[in-house]
Amino acid sequence: MKQVVISAVAAVTGLGNTLEQSWGRLLAGESAIASVRHFACDGYPTDRAACVPDLERPPGQSRLEPLLERLLAQLPAVPGDCRLLTASTKGPIDLLEDRLRGAVVDHAALLLETLPRQVAARCGLVDPGVNIGAACASATIALGRAGGLIAAGRCSAVLVVCADLVSEFVFSGFSALQGLSAEPCRPFDARRCGLSLGEGGAALLLLDAARARREGWPVLARLLGWGAANDANHITAPARDGCGLVGAVEQALARAGLAADAVAAISAHGTGTLYNDAMEMAAFERLFSERPVPFNSLKGALGHSLGAAGGIEAAVACRCLEQGVLPPTAGCEQPDPAARGMVGAFPQPFAGEVLLSSNSGFGGINGALLLGRGGER
Amino acid sequence: MKALVLGLGWVTPGGWGRGGGDAGFGLGHGELPALTRRDLFADPFPRFGRLDAFSRLGLAAVALALGDAGLDNWDAKRPIGLVAASRFGCLATDLDFFGPMAPGGDRLVSPNLFAYTVPNTVLGEAAIRFGLTGPGYVLSAGGAAPFAPLETALEILAAGEAETILAGCCDLPPAGAPAGAGAIFLVLGTAAEGSKAGAQLRLAPQLQVDGRPVADWPQLVAACRRPGRG
Repeated sequence: MKQVVISAVAAVTGLGNTLEQSWGRLLAGESAIASVRHFACDGYPTDRAACVPDLERPPGQSRLEPLLERLLAQLPAVPGDCRLLTASTKGPIDLLEDRLRGAVVDHAALLLETLPRQVAARCGLVDPGVNIGAACASATIALGRAGGLIAAGRCSAVLVVCADLVSEFVFSGFSALQGLSAEPCRPFDARRCGLSLGEGGAALLLLDAARARREGWPVLARLLGWGAANDANHITAPARDGCGLVGAVEQALARAGLAADAVAAISAHGTGTLYNDAMEMAAFERLFSERPVPFNSLKGALGHSLGAAGGIEAAVACRCLEQGVLPPTAGCEQPDPAARGMVGAFPQPFAGEVLLSSNSGFGGINGALLLGRGGER
Repeated sequence: MKALVLGLGWVTPGGWGRGGGDAGFGLGHGELPALTRRDLFADPFPRFGRLDAFSRLGLAAVALALGDAGLDNWDAKRPIGLVAASRFGCLATDLDFFGPMAPGGDRLVSPNLFAYTVPNTVLGEAAIRFGLTGPGYVLSAGGAAPFAPLETALEILAAGEAETILAGCCDLPPAGAPAGAGAIFLVLGTAAEGSKAGAQLRLAPQLQVDGRPVADWPQLVAACRRPGRG
């Protein structure tokens, strides 16, 4: 099997238009969760979300377009023979809102297939690409899929691009489900009571290690293992014992040829909902037994960006591995007793070479990635 | 890359059925058959009637395919994967969900319907109903790659990420969209050399069934059918 490396990353979040900006502010414990300005939040339990600042919407277009432009402009020229995978749950959802409010919007403009098409055209790729939809695990599973394609020798380069917006559509849905926190969310905190939405995107270029070496690409991180599993339990609630997440992580460990002891830190999904965070803590306890593995969630800082979350978190994980530190879990001031000593609203240095990043989503799906420290050119 | 076709099932305007039967198959712009849970499930399954129309369509085709493969009954959850292609995904459900937010609407959106506004919920429903714990996701690739889910499924099998996988497509365009509705799923298993268990699907580099190229879904279904088996 071929070795897989990550050679370029870019991210746009509520905390910055570059990964560098976001990383600095994440480490400082800042949060982008603030009042939403691009739609009225009257009648909802909160007006808070983590929006990308100054994302001006061109007339007749989705806010996704300037987000993608801001994101892709940061990437170096990627190989034209890249396979393309995108990950988004709702794509240009603001256009659907327009349509229902009387604007003339063709059905074709609402489809998720528009996202890979736009990215392929912008990046000059031959492959028209495909969007992977797996709810809030979409980007994580797309990255695993990219790893699988390269490892099997099906291709030597894959560009993964993920993006999702804060929209009234999703805001109203989580509000109806009583899933929104009135205050900025508190992942893994004993007082957590719901999620805060966020938006953003990430782009990651994955290469066959031999090609990266041959063409002089940097190795920002290594993709060592990946896994995906369904808990087959409930459409919106995770299995309480974390069986789906455990299954996904065990697959990733098996693919990487690693024991659980190798995992030095975890970038958790950590939405701030009671059941998700409890499920993750149960899964980590099953996987790592009595060994306390430091973990964090970025959702208190960046909000929950749905299908893009796993890609943004993987991009940040490259920096975590480079610098040996997990950013604070914003809002986690009184850690849940089950997580005490492993998570908090402070940076957590870690020693080790391997970081686990995981996400879970509606439909019972779970995805896991094992990332290794990079460093060579 | 290759796999055995262990079963197939479909719901199309031209008919609904299984690979082991002789029912019609026909994609197009006609009406879908009106299936009830009694057509598909031996046990009472009231949840079926509460699903959104997209999930009902997909779950029906999955049930028929698993039944054709003899895999519809289970005691313990199984690591069977699910990959579906869908152009329109849950767009019709999205429009229904957000409809109350239109001018003049009552702004009371449905929390139940919100759960069906991600396209992979149909796979989650199938996972719950049939105890499927393998990888699952929906591909949106446009109409230019009709066999994308089968290619992906073959790659997953070849990589050892699953030993059995359901792969197919499911589409239910919203009213007014110029496209047809229907769903078809194949149950694919790791191909043992010389096995007679079912048709052999191979990607080399175009898709072949038992050594013969297939260009579209009707050709593929015709080549994979085993009338009299079911």
